[in-house]
Amino acid sequence: MALSEPQFAALVDTSAGPDGRRQLIDLLGEDHPAYDQRGTAATVRMRGWALLALARIGLCEASLVFVLEELDTGTDPYLVAAAARALRSYPAPSAEFAPFLMRCIANIRYQDQPVSFHGYGEYALSSGSSPVRELLETLAWLGPLAIGILPDLETLRAQPGGFSKKLAVDLDHALASIRGAGQITSPASCCDLPGGLGRMLWASGRGGSEPVESIVFEDQQGESISFKDLFPGRPSIVVFFYTRCDNPLKCSLTVTKLARIQRSLESRGLIDQIGTAAITYDPGFDLPERLRLYGEGRGVRFDAQHRMLRATGGFSALRKHFRLGVNFIESLVNRHRIELFILDANGRIAAGFERIHWDESQVVDRAVEILKADVAAVSSRVPRQAASRTFGTLASLAVAFFPKCPVCWGAYLSMSGIAGIQRLRFSPALEAVLVLLMLVNVASVWRRGRATGSMLGSYLVSAGAIAIIASRFAPGWESVAVWGVWFTLAGSLWSVVNNKKAIPAHIAARLP
Amino acid sequence: MPSKRVGTKKPKSAARGAAATSTSSRNITARVAAITKSPLEACDSDDKLQSMLKVLRDTAEPIDVRLATLQALQAAAFSVVAFESCRGDYMATLRAVAEDADPELRQRVLGLLAREKDGFAQQKLLEGLKNPEKALVAPEKALQLLSYDVHADAYPVARAIIKNPPNPEAKREALRLLAADAASAPMFEKMLRDKDELAEIRQISASALHALQPAKMQAQAREMLLDTKEYPEIQATSLSALTNFGDAGAISADKPLMKRVTGLSGGPANKVKRTARQFLDKYDA
Repeated sequence: MALSEPQFAALVDTSAGPDGRRQLIDLLGEDHPAYDQRGTAATVRMRGWALLALARIGLCEASLVFVLEELDTGTDPYLVAAAARALRSYPAPSAEFAPFLMRCIANIRYQDQPVSFHGYGEYALSSGSSPVRELLETLAWLGPLAIGILPDLETLRAQPGGFSKKLAVDLDHALASIRGAGQITSPASCCDLPGGLGRMLWASGRGGSEPVESIVFEDQQGESISFKDLFPGRPSIVVFFYTRCDNPLKCSLTVTKLARIQRSLESRGLIDQIGTAAITYDPGFDLPERLRLYGEGRGVRFDAQHRMLRATGGFSALRKHFRLGVNFIESLVNRHRIELFILDANGRIAAGFERIHWDESQVVDRAVEILKADVAAVSSRVPRQAASRTFGTLASLAVAFFPKCPVCWGAYLSMSGIAGIQRLRFSPALEAVLVLLMLVNVASVWRRGRATGSMLGSYLVSAGAIAIIASRFAPGWESVAVWGVWFTLAGSLWSVVNNKKAIPAHIAARLP
Repeated sequence: MPSKRVGTKKPKSAARGAAATSTSSRNITARVAAITKSPLEACDSDDKLQSMLKVLRDTAEPIDVRLATLQALQAAAFSVVAFESCRGDYMATLRAVAEDADPELRQRVLGLLAREKDGFAQQKLLEGLKNPEKALVAPEKALQLLSYDVHADAYPVARAIIKNPPNPEAKREALRLLAADAASAPMFEKMLRDKDELAEIRQISASALHALQPAKMQAQAREMLLDTKEYPEIQATSLSALTNFGDAGAISADKPLMKRVTGLSGGPANKVKRTARQFLDKYDA
């Protein structure tokens, strides 16, 4: 453990200047080493203190997402209160903040309790600020920009016995500020979240370089399957969760939404073409039976393309590959963000959604785009590959039958009786080119063999090439040219058939 | 604050007796009756709530009255929606009295806060386990309260208590707490097979191992049944584990095991005999 809690607090305090903003933002990453081996309560104290430091120096676009994340999915009173306070330091109030604040009030109101911001790690022993008070004050700060949630707030005010007298005063103040003495602006006139935060999606290029293909998972039925056998072949929507997560707005909701995504895929006829997976952060505890019950309770569909998984080995490689926003105390999660990834048909990360709750239809639409891109890529690849294989095979055959001398060349041409090409001259250089093309064909078949996992075609083509070359250059070996030709033809044919098998059925079906 | 620590706590009856001498017992009884009569009135008005919270905080009030007030507030808090407006002040007051001199009040308040997964209470309980001088409740109680929250960071302390237990109850609670810790499976496996451990400790270990690594528990259960020197209680536990959670195909085909259980079904220990028969009813087709 690198820093003690007091040391962390001191680091945050010294970073709370204009030059320390980057440092504070780094400290809010769940995977920051400072949170490694901390309990959840310590993590809350530390993150809350960092949020309050950001509030002091002013929130910027890069740190805004951490605040909105807390308002969107937070259930801890201290963190929510700190986030609400920090939002007020953002230089450009936006109407888009209002729904986050209103949702947060609904989420936290029954867990409202006093919080203290005076010193690091302090717990309030008397009434003071609270998450709901901070949220109401932030709504007041938004003023007329929060007009879109005014009806909800008025309904809240009208509920008998809802808020205490103190909170009712804050609520009235927020209402008055929003009504803004008649300066109401239409919410439609306003903008999206800054920095495109309303669409928490990033494109490909996210995946780490860690070897994940060999990672072995166990699914909800106890069946083992490796990463390379599970994901390549079709796009997949992958979420992370763990069954002991006690925030209902995170893992439980994530898995529930995954089940809704499955239903959406089913209704669009894509359930066999786009896979889904929910992978646990807590593989030591989340045994197959727990995964199954957790998924069943949330309406998850299970079959070969739709599974809940735990990594039985290599979780740290998986964590690095996806750059998961999670940290642990021993094997137990102490904090995580919500995160969803879309993998392409090669198992590579093509898109992701994180921190803010994702919209199911948006995820499905993005997965469909990736599916279409995969189909288009394979469609353009197949004719090219077929042409390349045919050309390479013909080159091998040409080498086998290439005449050894100018006399043989003349005999071949006269046998052909094609008057038009009789003017072609025997050239050893042409033979060299054909040999080169044959070797290119061998290399190409080997590459395909490695990609498809079947090397038989490569072995046959290589044996064919060796036989052909031997027949050309080794005296007394001329007769093996026939074997060379047959091996080359058989290997090329195998490569074609096997490559078709490697194309997912749903993509192959769409190919011309 | 040694006067309020566990090791030097004043007997409950003595504390109440002292309070009773300063206030007439009839008055106390009447007040307790009035408070417990309609607990939900706590949130009828801010004034009522504040006066109840004041009583709870006031160390000069008789402890019976304070406990009754706490009970009334606890009952009111059960109605989450109705209690919404009172909740903030209530939580602050609970924290304020968590270190009260009265051990029963302290324990009850810490229990209420622990159920809320309150960071303040968890901090105090952990402090007490690490440093008994600061303990607000007995170690076994602290462990029990910390076990309400799997994220309470109590595993290292629980392991330390198992190594060096202050009393047998604390060791039992530490084991129960670690039953949710996947990393503790090897320790449970070792304890389960340790014939020098108490039967209760081994049974807790069996239950924990079943929760964490069911396959390992099944394998150990088989081994313990085949061990002719194993204690009858543990054999009965092993039989129950295999009967309820065993792989029917593998067990039915396991001739040494079937033979051994057949022998146990006619043995002298009643409990073993009964569970062995249940086992054979299920697997000996």
